[in-house]
Amino acid sequence: MARLKFLCDSDRCIECNACVTACKNEHEVPWGINRRRVVTLNDGKPGERSISMACMHCTDAPCAAVCPTSCFYGTADALVLHDKDLCIGCGYCFYACPFGAPQYPRVGNFGGRGKMDKCTYCAGGPQQDNTAVEYMQYGSNRIAEGKLPLCAEMCSTKALLAGDGEIIAAIYRERVQQRGFGSGAWGWRTAYKQELTV
Amino acid sequence: MRDNPDGKAQARRRFLGTLGFAAVAAPAAAFEADGGTGGLPPRKETEAERRAPRYRETDHVRAFYRTNRY
Amino acid sequence: MLTRRSAGQAGRQRLAAAYQGLASGGTDRREFLRQAGLGGVGLAALGTLGTQVARAQVAHTVPDRAVPARRIKNVCTHCSVGCSVIAEVQNGVWTGQEPAWESPINRGTHCAKGASVREIVHGDRRLKYPMKLAGGQWQRLSWDQALDEISEKLLQIREKSSPEAVFWLGSAKFTNEAAYLFRKFGAFWGTNNIDHQARICHSTTVAGVANTFGYGAQTNSYNDIRNSKTMIVMGGNPAESHPIATQHLLAGRELNRSNFFVVDPRFTRTAAHATDYVRIRPGTDIPVIWGMLWHIFENGWEDKEFIRQRVYGMDEVRREVTKWNPEEVLRVTGVPEAQIKRMAQVFATQKPATLIWCMGATQKTVGTANVRAFSILCMATGNVGSAGTGCNIFRGHTNVQGATDLGLDIATLPAYYGLDEAAWRHWCRVWQVDYEWMQGRFASKKLMETPGIPSTRWFDAVVLPRDQVDQPSNFKAMFVMGHGGNTVTRMPEMVKALEKLDLLVVCDPHPTTYAQVSDRQDGTYLLPICTNFETVGSRTASNRSLQWGEKIVEPIFESRNDYDVMYALAKRLGFADELFKNIGVKDGVVVVEDILREINRGTWALGYTGQSPERLRLHMANQQHFDITTLRGAKGTPVEGEVYGLPWPCWGTPEMKHPGTHILYDNSLHVKEGGGTFRARFGVERNGETLLAEGSYSKGSEIQDGYPEFTVAVLKRLGWFDDLSAHEKEIIGRVGGENIDRVSWSTDLSGGIIRVAMDHGCLPYGNAKARALAWNLPDPVPMHREPLYTPRTDLIPSLDQAAVLAADPNAPAPAGTYPALRDRRGFRMPHLGLTVQMRSHTVAREFPIILTSGRLVEYEGGGEETRSNKWLAELQQDMFVEINPADAAERGIRNAQYVWVLGPENDARVKVKAMITERVGKGVAFMPFHFGGWFQGEDRRRFYPPGTDPVVLGESVNTVTTYGYDPVTFMQETKVTLCQIRSA
Ligand code: SF4
Ligand code: SF4
Ligand code: SF4
Repeated sequence: MARLKFLCDSDRCIECNACVTACKNEHEVPWGINRRRVVTLNDGKPGERSISMACMHCTDAPCAAVCPTSCFYGTADALVLHDKDLCIGCGYCFYACPFGAPQYPRVGNFGGRGKMDKCTYCAGGPQQDNTAVEYMQYGSNRIAEGKLPLCAEMCSTKALLAGDGEIIAAIYRERVQQRGFGSGAWGWRTAYKQELTV
Repeated sequence: MRDNPDGKAQARRRFLGTLGFAAVAAPAAAFEADGGTGGLPPRKETEAERRAPRYRETDHVRAFYRTNRY
Repeated sequence: MLTRRSAGQAGRQRLAAAYQGLASGGTDRREFLRQAGLGGVGLAALGTLGTQVARAQVAHTVPDRAVPARRIKNVCTHCSVGCSVIAEVQNGVWTGQEPAWESPINRGTHCAKGASVREIVHGDRRLKYPMKLAGGQWQRLSWDQALDEISEKLLQIREKSSPEAVFWLGSAKFTNEAAYLFRKFGAFWGTNNIDHQARICHSTTVAGVANTFGYGAQTNSYNDIRNSKTMIVMGGNPAESHPIATQHLLAGRELNRSNFFVVDPRFTRTAAHATDYVRIRPGTDIPVIWGMLWHIFENGWEDKEFIRQRVYGMDEVRREVTKWNPEEVLRVTGVPEAQIKRMAQVFATQKPATLIWCMGATQKTVGTANVRAFSILCMATGNVGSAGTGCNIFRGHTNVQGATDLGLDIATLPAYYGLDEAAWRHWCRVWQVDYEWMQGRFASKKLMETPGIPSTRWFDAVVLPRDQVDQPSNFKAMFVMGHGGNTVTRMPEMVKALEKLDLLVVCDPHPTTYAQVSDRQDGTYLLPICTNFETVGSRTASNRSLQWGEKIVEPIFESRNDYDVMYALAKRLGFADELFKNIGVKDGVVVVEDILREINRGTWALGYTGQSPERLRLHMANQQHFDITTLRGAKGTPVEGEVYGLPWPCWGTPEMKHPGTHILYDNSLHVKEGGGTFRARFGVERNGETLLAEGSYSKGSEIQDGYPEFTVAVLKRLGWFDDLSAHEKEIIGRVGGENIDRVSWSTDLSGGIIRVAMDHGCLPYGNAKARALAWNLPDPVPMHREPLYTPRTDLIPSLDQAAVLAADPNAPAPAGTYPALRDRRGFRMPHLGLTVQMRSHTVAREFPIILTSGRLVEYEGGGEETRSNKWLAELQQDMFVEINPADAAERGIRNAQYVWVLGPENDARVKVKAMITERVGKGVAFMPFHFGGWFQGEDRRRFYPPGTDPVVLGESVNTVTTYGYDPVTFMQETKVTLCQIRSA
C-alpha cells in the first residue's frame, strides 16, 4: 500500500507561494491560518534557498503522542488527521511538532486559542467524505476524489512533490541524476525516519 | 484524459455551488475558523471508515507524476 | 515641471509624530507579516470590510447534489506567460480551481497569483455599481445615468476644445478584441491620444527589436528555453515576475546542464538559482554588453558567416565597442574583467544561447538603445532564429503583447501600420468607412497623422503652458479603462494634473489609485468592469501564442464587460453604427468573435489573420496534443503540425492553414511550416550597400537570396502575377484603384499576394539583413549614456561642458563622459535630457543612494486587484524598501522600522518599512511598485468608495521616482534615480 509523503525540491523552489494560495483557495482557509508556508534561508545572499513547509504527516507523529484528548488518528495512507470535535486547543501539539504545523485560530472577544487546524493532506477529516460538514470543519477531500494535494499539483516549478512516497522519491532521484546536484529530501529523516539516497 | 475519475466525490463543490447567486457571487468563507460545523449536522465516520485507504492512482494522479518528470 | 513645490509640509509635521516601527529580527520580507501577528494590521484591515452584499444571504443553504460541476477554461489574467486556468462552476458560481495538466505552457501549475484568481472574481472589494464623486462624496448612480452624464460632458469638451482634449487610456489587461476595439474607438472619436501600459513596459523593446529584426516581439518562446545551453537573464527576475517561465528555465538548466547567468543590480530570487551572478551598477547595461562584445571580437568568437549573410552595419558596432576595453567597463559598470570575459565566451561558444530581458532593460532613458545592444549581441554570436537561441523578451501583463500588436498606441494603427495616409486608408477599407468621413472626425489631417501624447506624460499635457503642447488644447478629460494610477513616475505632478481635469472616468473592476489619490471633489466617475474571467476573448502570451478564454461566470454585481460598455458609450457619442458596422450587437451585447474576424481581415502585416475564433477554440480543446518543447501538435490529432496558439505571424486567411510561427526568423523551416527571414522593412539599399540577405534564405525558397517585400509590381517582375486567382485580382483591383502595382502583401485584403509568395517558398515581407546600425534612431549604434540622476558625476559633463554641448548640436561628448541626449521635443511635448542630468551635480550629494524598483511575486502592476485579494494580501502586508546593511548602519536604521525615502524632485517622500538586506549592494535601494493608497505619509483609505478599499495599502514608489524618458518611445525611467533614506 502506498505511503503518502511530501518532498520539497529546494533546488527548484522559487518562493512563489503558489502552494500557499492554492491551499487557501482549495479550502477557503481564513486569514491568519497558514496550513502551508514557505521559508527562505540565507535570504538575499548566495546560497539562498526556499522550502515549502506544512504538516509532513510523520511516521509515529509526535503531535499525536502528546495530545491529551487523543484527537489524532493515522490513516492507511499514512496521513495524520485529527478530530476537531475532540480538540481543546491546548497547544501541546504545536510544541511537539518539529515543523510548526499546528495553527490555532483566535476565537471569542479575547482572542483565545481555538481548535487546532493544520494541513490535512487535502484529505478532509473524520466526517463523511466530501460532505458539507466535512468541508466546514476541514476543507475539501481531494484524496477521496482521486486527486492529490492542490499545493503540490499547482507548484509553479514542480518543486513540491506529493503522492506515493516511492514514486516521488524516484522522480526526485531522476532529477538529481539529470542535473548533477540535489540538496536532499529536506525533513525526511525527521518525519519519515529515513533519508532519501540518490 | 478524464480528470475526475470519481463522479460521486463532488459533494463539497456542490455545497459551495449552492451558496451564491449569479449576480452577487461571493461564497461565504465556508471553512469555519473556530473548527465548528457551522450549524450543520455531523456526519461522523466510523473508526474503520476514518482509517480506510483513499489514495488511488487515477489518471489525474498519473498526470501529476508525468508532468513532474522532464 | 521641475520646479519645487512647497508641499510636503504636512508630511514633515507628521514625521515628528510618527511612531517607531516594530522590533527588528526579520530574516526575510515575510517576517514583517509574522510580526504583524494574527491581530495585526492586516486583520484589522479585513475587519473594515464594507458591503455585506452576498454574505448574509448565502449562509448555509441545503446543498444541491444534482448539479454537476462544469469545467471552463480561461487564461490567467496576471502575466504574459498565459497559464491556463480551469474553473469548476456550479449554479453559476465559481467553486474551485483545478490544475490544467494539458496546457503546454503551465502543465497544471500557477504562481501565487494564478492559484488565487478565483478570489478576484468573488471579490468583495470590487467596485459594485457605477459611482460618481459629487461635492467630495461618492454617490451611487445607474449605468444609464452615468453613461449619459459622461457622454454629455465628453461631447461638450469635444465641441469646445477639440477631440484632442480627451486622453484615452486603455489596458494590457484587455483581450485582443477589446484592445482593438478601444483603439478603433479612439480613431472614431478623432484622436491618437490613446495609449496603454506597453508604454511603461516594453515600448522600447518593441521599438528597438523591430528596428533591428523587423518585428518587435519575443523571438522564441518560454518553452523553447528548454533547448538552451546558455541563458543570460539581464534586467529581469522571472522567479518573481514570470514564475511559470521559470519552470521551463530550471528544467532547461537541468536537462542541458546549462550555464545560467543573472546580470542585475540585485541578487534576485532568480539569481539564487543561477550558476553565475553578475552585479552591475544600475543603468550600465550597454557598457556590459559592449564589454562582452569587446572580448568576442578580440578573440574572434563572433559568428562570421551569420554576420556576413544576415546582418547590416556590424562594422560600426565594432568601432564603438573598441572603446569598451576591460578597464573602462570596470570603471563604469563595476564588473571585473574575468566575469565579463567568461560570460562573453560562454555566450558566444556554448550555443544555443539565449538572452532574456525584462523591464530592467526597457524602463530606462536609454531603453531602446539597451534593447538594440542586447539584440546585437545575439546577432553577433549567431544566436537568433533557431531553437534554444533568441531574444526571449518576457512581457509583463497578460495581454500586453496583444494590445500592442493591435495598435492600442499613440503612434500606430493596429498591426504596426503606422499613421500615414496609406495606413488610414487601409484601415478605413477594413472598417468599411469612408476615408474622408474619418478625416472629418479629427481636428486636422496633420493631427490624424501625428503620434499622440504618451501615458507617461499625459499629466504634463494637462498642466504645461498652452504653447508648449502641440495640439489645439491641453487635456481636459481622461477616460481610463483598466490602468492603474500609480504605475507612472512623478506622481506628485500627476496628482496636481488630476485635480485640474474637468472629467475623469475610471472603468475597472476596482476604483484604482486614480479614485483616491487626488483631492478632486467633482467630475469623477467610476464604472465597474468585469474581469476577463467574466467574458470571452483571446489574449496573446509573450511568445505570440493566442489563447481563447471562455466566460466562467456572469459579471458579478452590476459590472459589465469592456465591449458592451464601449458600445453603450459609442452609441451616445454618435458613432456606434460606424464603429460596429461589421461587428454584431444583439440587445447591447457585442459579438466578440466578430471583432476577431475583423482583426483577421485587416492585420496582414503582422499575421493576425489566420487565427480565427474557430481555430483558437480548437487549440484550447486540444491542448494535450502539443509538445512541451516544440509546441507542435502531434501527428494524427486535429492540430497536427500546428504550433500551439498559432503564434503570429500566422500568414494569410484561416483557410490557408498556416501553422503559426514558433521561432521568428528561423530559416531552417519552410515559410508554410513557420519559417522566416529578417524582414525587409527599411528599403533594399543604403549608401550603395545592400540591405537584403546575401546567400541566406528560408527552406524551400525559390528565390535563393535576399528579396524585397512583395507587391503586385514584384509579382509581375517575377512572372507570378497570374498565380493570383480572378477573385484575388478583383479585390486587389478595388484596393489599388488606378495603380494596382503599389498594392502590397500588407494592404491586399484578399491575402492573395501572401498566398502566392508562400507558394513559392517566400516570406511575403521579404528577406533582408537585420540592422546592427539603425540610422533612423537618435543613437544609430547604441551608446552608453549615464542616467539623468546619477551618483557618478565624474561620468557626466561639467556644467560648463554641458553649456557647450547644448549650444552646439555637433559638439562631441567630452572625453570620459557619457552625457544624456540634448533637450529636444517629441510626441507634441518638450523632452529634457541634458538639463535634468546637470541637476545630478547639485542633488547627488544630498541624495546619494541609487533607487531602483521592481516586482514582487504576489502582486501585479499597480496592485489594486491583487492587494484586494485577501489570499495574496496576507502574504505581503507592508510596503518596504530594501537597504544594504552598510547604508542602514550609517543612518542608524533598524530592520522593519519605518523610514522616509526622499526623492530629488517635488520634495517627494514616502514612508515605508526598512528591509535590511544584502540583496542590494551598498549605495542601492529597491522598492516594489505595486503599492498605493498612501501618499507622502498619509493613509488615504477613507477616500475610497466605501467597501472598495484594497486589503493592503502602502506608499507608491512612483511618488519618489523622477523625470527621464527614452527618446524613441517616451518610456519612463523607473530603474535608476537617486534618493535619501532617513529614519522615520
Ligand atoms: S496538502 Fe492540502 S491542506 Fe495541506 S498544505 Fe497542501 S493544499 Fe493545504
Ligand atoms: S509553489 Fe513550489 S516553487 Fe512556489 S513556493 Fe511553493 S514549493 Fe516553492
Ligand atoms: S501570473 Fe503568470 S505565471 Fe503566475 S499563474 Fe498567472 S500567467 Fe502563470
